[in-house]
Amino acid sequence: MMAHWQMGRGTRMMQSTLGREALAPQQCSVAGMVLIVLLASPVCWGDDADALALADQALEPAVARSDWQIFTEGMLGHVNQRAPLDDIRISRASVDVLLDTAINPEWRFTLANRADWLGQDGQYEVVNTLKEVYVSWQAQPNAALDLGRINQRNGVALGYNPSDYFKVGALRSVVSIAPASLRENRLGVGMLRGQWVWEGGAVNAVFAPKLANQRQSAAFSPDWGASNPVSRYLLTSSVQVLPGFAPQFLLLGEQGQSPQVGMNASILAGDALTLYAEYSGGRSAALLPAAPVAWHSRLASGGTYTFANNLSLSLEYHYDGAALNQSQWRALWLNPADYWAYRSAVFNAQSLPTQQAAMSFITWRDAGFKALDLNWMLRRDLVDQSWQSWLEARYHFERMDWALQWQYQNGAPGSQYGALPQRHSLQAVVKYFF
Amino acid sequence: MNKAMEQSLGAKPAVWRTDHHAAQRALKTRCRVWGASLLLACCAAVGAAPSAQQILSASDAIRNPEQPFGVTSTLIEYRNGKQVQTSTLAVYARADAQSGQFRNLIRFVAPQRDAGKLLLKNGNDLWLYDPSSKASIRISPQQRLLGQAANGDVVTVNLAVDYTASLVGEETIADGERQNRDTYLLKLNAKTPDVTYHRIDYWIDRHNNQPVKAKFYSSSEHLLKTAYYRRFQKQLGVSRPTETVIIDGLDPQWVTVLRSSDFAFRDVPESWLQRDFLPRFKAE
Repeated sequence: MMAHWQMGRGTRMMQSTLGREALAPQQCSVAGMVLIVLLASPVCWGDDADALALADQALEPAVARSDWQIFTEGMLGHVNQRAPLDDIRISRASVDVLLDTAINPEWRFTLANRADWLGQDGQYEVVNTLKEVYVSWQAQPNAALDLGRINQRNGVALGYNPSDYFKVGALRSVVSIAPASLRENRLGVGMLRGQWVWEGGAVNAVFAPKLANQRQSAAFSPDWGASNPVSRYLLTSSVQVLPGFAPQFLLLGEQGQSPQVGMNASILAGDALTLYAEYSGGRSAALLPAAPVAWHSRLASGGTYTFANNLSLSLEYHYDGAALNQSQWRALWLNPADYWAYRSAVFNAQSLPTQQAAMSFITWRDAGFKALDLNWMLRRDLVDQSWQSWLEARYHFERMDWALQWQYQNGAPGSQYGALPQRHSLQAVVKYFF
Repeated sequence: MNKAMEQSLGAKPAVWRTDHHAAQRALKTRCRVWGASLLLACCAAVGAAPSAQQILSASDAIRNPEQPFGVTSTLIEYRNGKQVQTSTLAVYARADAQSGQFRNLIRFVAPQRDAGKLLLKNGNDLWLYDPSSKASIRISPQQRLLGQAANGDVVTVNLAVDYTASLVGEETIADGERQNRDTYLLKLNAKTPDVTYHRIDYWIDRHNNQPVKAKFYSSSEHLLKTAYYRRFQKQLGVSRPTETVIIDGLDPQWVTVLRSSDFAFRDVPESWLQRDFLPRFKAE
C-alpha cells in the first residue's frame, strides 16, 4: 500500500487533500470605448417584444426520469511538498452510483456505492466505499422503518458537525477536503431506524448494533468494523417552537460511554441571512490518551449571508472542549509518536485537534459567467494560528463539470496545518453525469 | 373480493372513485372561479366596483387551483438570445388551512447533477435537501437556486395573502401574445417585509380576471423583473396560464421561460411538507 495514502486506521486519501485530515508524518478608457461602440451599435435589443419573440421559439428538451444517478470523475494533480520531500503526481478515477427505487408503494430500496482508483507516481490502488444499502417500509404516511446501512447525518453547520455522531470512523477514501465531499463519500452505519412525523415535528429512533471489531482495508470490504465497532442508539426529535423555528434535540447512547446530548437550531434573520448553531455535550474521555473523563462541550455556530449577485458568505466558529489547549498542543509536538497518534484519532473522529477554529466559505454561483461557480474555503486554527485555503473554479456543461482546485496550507512547525508535509497542490477534475 | 366481483355487487372501482373525486374537485374549483367572477359581475351590476383585493383573489384562483395539486415546471433560460440552461422541476402544492398560502415541495428532475434534490417552502421557511449528502440545509429567500428565477417564481403563491392591493386604473396593454387586452392595473404592497418582492404592479384582464403582466420591485424601488402570463389553456377545469416569460429588470437580455405542464389534482400529505420527511420522500 502506498505510504502517502495510508491513514492511521485504514482510511486512504489523496495527497492533495492532506490538510485537516493529513496524518502522514513525512480600466476606464477601455470601458468608455466599449460604451461608445455599444451606443453606436444599430442592434437594439431589450424591449419586452424581443423577449417574447425569443420565448416563442423555446424548445423544451425531453426529460427521462430515472431511479439511477451515476457519475464518473477523473482527476490529475500535482502536489508540492516541503523540503526535503519531492513533489508528487497524483491521479484518480471514480465511479459513483446511487439507486433509489420504489419496489411498491410501501417498500423502497436504496443503494449508494463509490469506487476510487487512486494513483500516485504511477502506482494505483482501489478503494470501494459501500455508502448505503437498505430497505424502507412506509407503514403509514407518517410512520416508516428502515433497515440496512444508512448514512444518517445530523447537524446544521458546514465545516464541523459535533452532533453528527455517526461520522466517527466513516471515512474510507478522502478525495477532497471540501465539506460536502466529506459528508457524501463516507460509510453509512448498519442500523434499524424508525421515524414518526407529524405536523410541526418528528421523532427518529435508531439502533445500530456492533457488527465487527476491526477496520478492514481490503479494497471491496464493506468495512463493518469501521461503521459499527460498538452498539449505539440515537433518539432525535424536532419540535416547532415558533413559526420558522424548529430545533432538533438528540440523545446518543454508546457502549462504554456516557450518553451525549445535542441540539441543532437555525433561524432566518432577514431576507438574505440564516443563522445556525449546533451543540453536543456529555461526559467523555478527552481525545488525548489517559486524560480523565469529564463533561465536554462541542459547538459550531455561524451564519450565511447571500448577496444580490448570488454570492453566499458563510462564517463559522468551532469549539471542541475535548481537544487540546495551546499549552497541551505545544507539549505534544515534542513527542512525534504521540503527536501523530493523536492526530490519527482526531481524524478518525472527524473532530478538531485543538479547541478553537474558524472557517469561512464563499460560494458564488454564476460568478461573472453563466455556469461558472467559484468556491473558496479558508480554515484557521485559532490556537496555533495555522491556516488552510481551498479554492475551486467549476464550470458546468449539460452533463459535464470541469473544475480546477487549488489548496494551500501554512503554519509554524507542529501546528495543525504547518506540520503537514505538503504545501500546496493543484488538481484538474472532470465529472460526467450519465 | 376481486374487481369483477366488486363491480357485479355495485361497488365503484378505485379508478372510477379517483376520477369522480378529481371531477368533484374540478367542479369545486370551477365553482369558486365562477363564484369570484360572479361576485365581480354582481358588483358591477349594482354599480359597486369590485375591490382590488377581490380582483387579485380571483386572479390567484386562475393561476392556481385551490386543492392540493402537482405540476411540472420547466425553466428555459436565455442570455443574450442564447439558450444557456434548462431545468425541470416537479412541484407539489398544498394551501395552508390557516394562512391560505401555499406550501410547496419541489423536486429537481433535470439537469442530472441536481436530480433528486428537494426544496421545501413554507412561507419564508426554505429547506434544501441533497440526497447525496443526506443533508437538509436552511436557505434564505435571497439564495437563488435556478439562475434568474427566485424561489418564489417557481412555486405556487397566493398574492392576495401576502400583498395589499389597490386599484390604480384601467389600461389597454399588449399581452404576452401581443394582443390588446383591457386590464385593471393593481398596485400590490407587501404586508410584511419577508416576501421576495416589496411591490408589484399587476395587470389583470378586466373581463375574466386572467393575469396578464406583472412588474416586480425591490424595497429600493428597483425593477427586478417583468413577467408576462400567457399560453392560456384549460387545465383542471379552468383556463390557466401555462407559460410565464420572465425578463430581468437590469438586464433585459436575461430571459427565463417558465412552462407549466402535467397539471393534476393529487394528494399532498402533510408529512411531505415536513423537513424531517425529506430524506424519505419518493415521488411516484
